[in-house]
Formats: sequence, C-alpha cells, structure tokens
Amino acid sequence: MSTETRKRPAYAHLFWWFMFANGGGLAALVLPVHILVQGILGPLRIVPVVDQHYDTWVSVLGNPIVKLYVLALVALSFFHFAHRLRYLLVDFGLHAAKSVPAQVIFYGGAVVVTLVTIWVLLTTAPITFG
Amino acid sequence: MAEKRITIQATRFDPDKDEKPHLQSYDIPFADESMVVLDALNHIKSYVDGSLSYRWSCRMGICGSCGMMVNGTPKLTCSAFLRDYWPHKITVEPLNNFPVIRDLVIDMDDFMHKLKSVKPWIIRKQEIPLGAGVHRQLPAQVTEFRQFSECINCMLCYSACPVYGLNDKFLGPAAIALARRYNLDSRDQGLKERLPVIAEAEGVWECSFVGECSVVCPKGVDPAKAIQQTKLDTTLRFTLPYGNRD
Amino acid sequence: MRTPVQMSTPPAQRTYSWSMPSAWWTRKRHYLLYVVREFTALPMALWLLWLLYDIKRAGSGPAGFYPSRSVFFVIFSAVCLVFAMYHSYTFLKLAGVIIHVKVLDKPVPPRVIVFMMFGLLAVASIVIGAVLIGFAR
Repeated sequence: MSTETRKRPAYAHLFWWFMFANGGGLAALVLPVHILVQGILGPLRIVPVVDQHYDTWVSVLGNPIVKLYVLALVALSFFHFAHRLRYLLVDFGLHAAKSVPAQVIFYGGAVVVTLVTIWVLLTTAPITFG
Repeated sequence: MAEKRITIQATRFDPDKDEKPHLQSYDIPFADESMVVLDALNHIKSYVDGSLSYRWSCRMGICGSCGMMVNGTPKLTCSAFLRDYWPHKITVEPLNNFPVIRDLVIDMDDFMHKLKSVKPWIIRKQEIPLGAGVHRQLPAQVTEFRQFSECINCMLCYSACPVYGLNDKFLGPAAIALARRYNLDSRDQGLKERLPVIAEAEGVWECSFVGECSVVCPKGVDPAKAIQQTKLDTTLRFTLPYGNRD
Repeated sequence: MRTPVQMSTPPAQRTYSWSMPSAWWTRKRHYLLYVVREFTALPMALWLLWLLYDIKRAGSGPAGFYPSRSVFFVIFSAVCLVFAMYHSYTFLKLAGVIIHVKVLDKPVPPRVIVFMMFGLLAVASIVIGAVLIGFAR
C-alpha cells in the first residue's frame, strides 16, 4: 500500500534486546551464588567469605580478572534490568515508557551504573596480580 | 429423568442500537455429551434467538473461524466441550483485543493486514525452470518449518497476547510465526524481503515472551518459540556472518 | 459496452473499540507469574547496587572497614535470592526454547539445552562459591 511508511529493521531495539539477553543469562548463572554466599552465609558466619574481612576482600578485588568480571556482571545485568523494567511499565499501561526520553532514562541509567562501576573498580583496591 | 440444561451467557452488541456490549443469558438443553459451545450457539440461533451473530465454518477445529472467549480464555468454540463446564454457566464473548462489529463478531482487518505484510508465500529470486520438475525437500528440511505451518489463522494468539492488547501496532504471534515458517523453508528465498517487517520496532522486539499465545494455540504452533528464535536469528544475522539461504 | 458497475462501499460500521483492562495481569495465573518474572529485575538490581557499595567499602582502609552483618541485610538478601532464583529458573528454562542448534545435522532437543543450562548454573555456582569461600580467612 503506497500510504504505508517504509519499514526497516529497528537496530536500536535489536541492540537493547541483545544486551537484555546477555545480561539476563549472565545474571541467571552467577547472581544466586553471590547472593547466597555474600548476602546470607557470610553475614551469618556460616562459612568464611572474602568480603567479611578487609585484607581478603582487598586482595581479591585487586585482581584485574575479578575487576573485569564485576564490570561485566554489573554492566550487562543493568542493561537487562533497564530493558525489562521499562517494558514492565509498558505492560502496566504506561505508554510513555516507549518514548525516546524513557529509553534515555532507562538505558542511560544502565550506562551511568556502568560508569560508576568502572570508577569504583579503578579507585578501590589497587591492581595486583597476587 | 429431568433433562440436563446449561446456561450460556453471550455478548450482544447491535452497533445501531447499543452503546456498548452486554451479556444475554440463554438456558438451553444439554442433550448430548459431545456438545460443544458452537453447538450451543447454533441451538440458540436456530431455536431461541435468531439474531445472535457469530462466525463459524468447519466445526472441526481446522478452519479457524469460530474463535471466541469462553469463560475468559480464547478458544475455538467447536473444540470447547460443554461437559467440561457443566453445571456452571458458560460466558461466551468476542475475542479480546479486537474491535467488536456485532455480538460475537470481531473486526479482523488488522490481522489480515499484518498477515499480508509478512508475505506468507514462497518467494523466489528465480523460479526453477519447468523442466527441472518440482522443488525437492528432505524430510529433515520439512521438519524445520513444519510446526509453524500448522497455523490456521484463528487469532486466538492475538487475543491472548497482552502486548497486542495494549498496542495494536504489534505485528503479533501468528504473523511472525508464519514469517518464520517461510524463512525456514528451503524453497524460499524471501528472508531479506520479510526482514524489514519482522525486525522493525513494532515487530519481534515488542514481544516480552509472556508465552500465553503458545498456551492457547489450538494447533501447537508455539508462536512464542517462533518469535524468540526470530529475535535470536535476527540479532546473530547482524552480529555474525550468519548464513541464510539467499 | 457499459463500464462495469462500481460496487458501492458499505456504510461505515460503528465498531466497539477494545480497551485493555488495567489489571489484566491479575486475571490469569500465567499472566501474574509473568509479571513476577519481570519484576525480579528490581530486587536483583538493588542487590547488585549493594555489591557495588560493598566493593567501595574496601577503599575505606582497614580502620573504617566493616562487613555487612545486620539482620536486615540478611533478610533483604534472602528476599533477593528468592527473586534471583526465580529469574534463573525462568530464564534458563526459556533459553531452551530460544536456542536452536544442530549437532551433526540433527537438531538438539530443547530439554537437552535446558539441562545444559542448569548444568552451567551448577558449575558456575560451584566455581564462584569456591572463590568466594576459598579465598577467605
């Protein structure tokens, strides 16, 4: 129909979905153990956990592989959360969540968290290969 | 022995007279255990109230015409047995998420338009010459797309999909499943033509994998699977040198 | 020869428009579980923000350092864990639907993919658990 606007692939949507899928997968695989060990077992002193003592926490955090892992975990997960929560608002009838400003807020928020993570990782626990 | 009876509540809406749809109750005999909701509607139309309007055709679950909401779930009324609901009353309403034309009849133009937009036919860059005979396919090649070809265009999936209910621009489960059926067909060379439609903003990306479409599909098409696989394939296509059968 | 008679367009119908009930997701158990699944993103995000804060605390020097031990924090983590596990369960199960690969020209059955996903979850949990506990005092 000549009155139709020409359709083309929505590359932005493709990218957000791609980040959503990767972030969701990574979070699904690793987040439960972190929460169980660092959030429950460690604080209750059921097992010794790295972040319960200053020297062990700093020495683990100094490892660059650990820093990269934390960055990947937080960054990808937050793109997943941003995408999912934005669409949840759409499901609740908030059509404005589809707008470009909403995308800026949500995905921009994920970018901000990523930048904060980089800053935290670079300013905490100097890099050591110990 | 007292005759078994059942109550059917059906939506009535006369666009010339009514402001909005309302339910009307009919008490009918439940004479035969094999009776389906469509039989009940036919009984009402034949013997009780001839003005009741609804779509139906094959009465055996293959034409896709008789889709309606039965107690809040989209069903083919020819496949919804009264015995599964009796003695409770059955509420029959027009399919959710569509405009209502009259009584139980909905406006399906939007679906027809979307179906056409995915070009659900074999697209060839070059037809094989007549002398070459027919396209040959291995059984394994047919299995690739077979499940998605079972779609009877009954629109129950659109009725079940909350994304479509909230946004009627969404391409929708059946259209995407059928696009995938042709994209996976070894005889087809039309992936590039369909890609702008399935990969546009209101295409696959709108789906948030509620999965209710696959739950209500009477033919086991699993459109939710088709949509998610399309998302993955489309993404890989742009991030990897992904083979397609152009 | 007469020109063909034009079909007159039928009078415009007044259709009754659909409007989505705002509490649509309460009407079916499957819809409700879907919303719960989507919602898991929020507690997971909050817990990860705590993790960032926990990492930041390592920069405060040995004197200022204190580990999280409060009852409130443990309860918060327990709630987040429930949501995170529901996310893992639903996400990895659905990964079996979406991932379609062929091995030696035969498609891998979805339940094999799902099994491998949960196997991966077990392996990742053991490895990360070993690091978190093994490197501790």
